[in-house]
Order: sequence, then structure tokens, then C-alpha cells
Amino acid sequence: MSAHHSSDNIQHLYEGDQSKLYSGVMSHHTDINSADSKKQIGRIWKVFWILLAITIVEVVVGMFFSASMPRGVVNFFFLALTILKAGYIVSVFMHLGDEVKSFMITVLVPLFLFIWFIIAFLYDGGFWLEMNTTVPIR
Amino acid sequence: MSQATTAETKVWGGGRSPFNVSYGKMMMWFFLLSDAFTFSAFLISYGTKRFFSEVWPDANSVFHAFPFMGHANLPLLFVSLMTFILIMSSVTMVLAVHCGHYGDRQGVIKWLLWTIVGGIAFLSCQAWEWTHLAHNTGGLWGTFTDPNTPLDKFEHFFKHGTITAANAGAALEASHSFYNFFFTITGFHGGHVASGVVLLIMALINTVNGTYDKRGHYEMIEKVGLYWHFVDLVWVFVFTCFYLL
Repeated sequence: MSAHHSSDNIQHLYEGDQSKLYSGVMSHHTDINSADSKKQIGRIWKVFWILLAITIVEVVVGMFFSASMPRGVVNFFFLALTILKAGYIVSVFMHLGDEVKSFMITVLVPLFLFIWFIIAFLYDGGFWLEMNTTVPIR
Repeated sequence: MSQATTAETKVWGGGRSPFNVSYGKMMMWFFLLSDAFTFSAFLISYGTKRFFSEVWPDANSVFHAFPFMGHANLPLLFVSLMTFILIMSSVTMVLAVHCGHYGDRQGVIKWLLWTIVGGIAFLSCQAWEWTHLAHNTGGLWGTFTDPNTPLDKFEHFFKHGTITAANAGAALEASHSFYNFFFTITGFHGGHVASGVVLLIMALINTVNGTYDKRGHYEMIEKVGLYWHFVDLVWVFVFTCFYLL
């Protein structure tokens, strides 16, 4: 790779200690028992309890109530809670909420393709069912 | 350091990452983004097939067993345990990342070990569930292909009393699709968990050997952590699509 051009002086940018350069959190925290560290740990456990509570609610509804509720309400309820859980995991556990805004946007914007993806394919499935059940086979 | 100070004012002026993340972390995010599309392709094709079908197996009727509980009807209980294990392992992982930020080697070792225990526990649960389902249906992939399969082999997957002679064909095909998608998607997810456990073990060995102390940072723990949380994230969606909806 380096045979084509003299890159010795920039080599350090590609390997090794990039996190010292870029990761602000790494460089100046040393005391795990500091108030700041304890606050972070508190936030992690808080999110754990939230995730656990959401899951318990989902399971209880799934076990006892979803069969007697309207289908659309059930689906909306479960999908909303799923996206809420996903949001907590990505923003707190994966620390995306702590990254710079331009990086958050870069990661999240492609996910909007899912909106088209889901609508198009599920609509197609529904269409095929209708064709199969209403149009007689010749 | 003067370079860093000027970069504060000119984000896109060069000399630093405009995203303020290292190459490795950014590429892990982009890999996970592509993996998200792979998983969603699986889940959306599952949804398409489900919309295509007149009838579809009811999760509470398919998944109702628990180890050592015999034939007791315990819908959703076992998968809730699996979900709990995975969320718990996500917490221990983020605590390992946190200790890494502070250069606390003993803390990283402790929490990585718990995360590995969680990962192995999850995989063991999945192995039990697969074995149980395969035992009940006579195979993993490609079951329910014989059009002469008697009704009592599959009608119990559906809500009680919904399967008649008129929709038995559709129900047989739906059972076939349901099991194929179930083993493919949970298998692909389980493969991710298994490789995640391997990555965690490698990171643990490096931590014990002091590799990250010599390097001066624990960024590798962060990257493995991102992968591990993604696996948990995928499970959140698999759980919803297969067991709740």
C-alpha cells in the first residue's frame, strides 16, 4: 500500500491511537468512583429497569389481553413499545446519544428506508392474498 | 494539540474526524447499519409471507413449553426468560465499556465475564427451544411439506377451533413457512450471539494480558460492545415479530 506514495507521516492517523485523538471521554476520566462515573452507572441501571418494565408489560399483554383486543391496537401497542426499547438501547447503551449530531444523523437517516420497505412489502403480501382468495383459478 | 484547537472551529476543515469518532468505531456503526438491513430483510419477508397467508400460527400456541415443566401450558414464559438474559447481558456489557472509559481493568474483566455468561446462557436456552420445537414437529427446516399431513399434526399451532377442512391447506403451508422463517431468523441471530461470545472471549483475553493498558485505551471493548448491543437490539425486534404480533 505504501509502495505507491509516501505515507509514512500520516500512517499514525490510520492505526493505533485514534481514540486518544477523537474520543473525548477516554482521555480525561481516571476515577471510577467519582461522582460523574456514579451518575453514568445510575443512568445505565435506570435504563435497565425501564427496559425490563416495558418487556414485562409486553409479555403480560401478550399472554392475557392481546387475544381480546382489536388487532390494529395490539400491533400499534407492541410496535410502539419495541421502538421505544430500541431507542433506549441505541441512545444509552450504544452511546449514540453522546455522539456528535452529524454522526447521529448519518447513522439514523438510512433507517428511514425501512418505512418504504415495510409498507411496500406488506402491501404486496396483502395484495397477493386478495388475489389468491377472490380471483378464481382458471 | 494546536491542530485540535483549530479543528474545534472548523469541523469539516480537515485534520480531525468531523464525526469525532475513530475509524474503527465508525466502521462498526456502518457494519451494524448494513446488518440491520439484512435482519430487516428477513423480518419483512416473514411479514410479507404472513400477510400472504389466510391463517398464521399463534405464538401463544406454538411457544408454550418450559424446561422441566412437562406439558404445562406456559405461553411466552421461556422466551421472556431469554429476553431477560439478553437485556441483562447488555447491561453488564455497557458496564464493561464504562469501566474501560476509566481504565479500570478489574472492572472490565468482571463485567466481560458476566456478559459471556449471559451470552452462553442465551445460546443454551435457544438450543433447548430449537430441540424442543424440532422434536415436536419432526425437523428443523422443510417440515410440513406433505399435503397428506393429518390435521392433528399442525392444528394446535393455531388459535383453537380456527382450522377447518377448508383452510387446512393454507394452514399447512403457513406452518411450513412459520417454521422455516423461525429457524432461519433465530438461527441467524443465534449465529450473531455465538460470534459475539467469541469476540467477547478474545477481548477478555486481551484485557487480562494488559493489551489495552499498553495501548492506552479500551476502545476495543467499546467496539465489541456496540456489536453486542446490536445483537440485543435485533432480539427486541425478533421477539416482537415472532412472539407478540
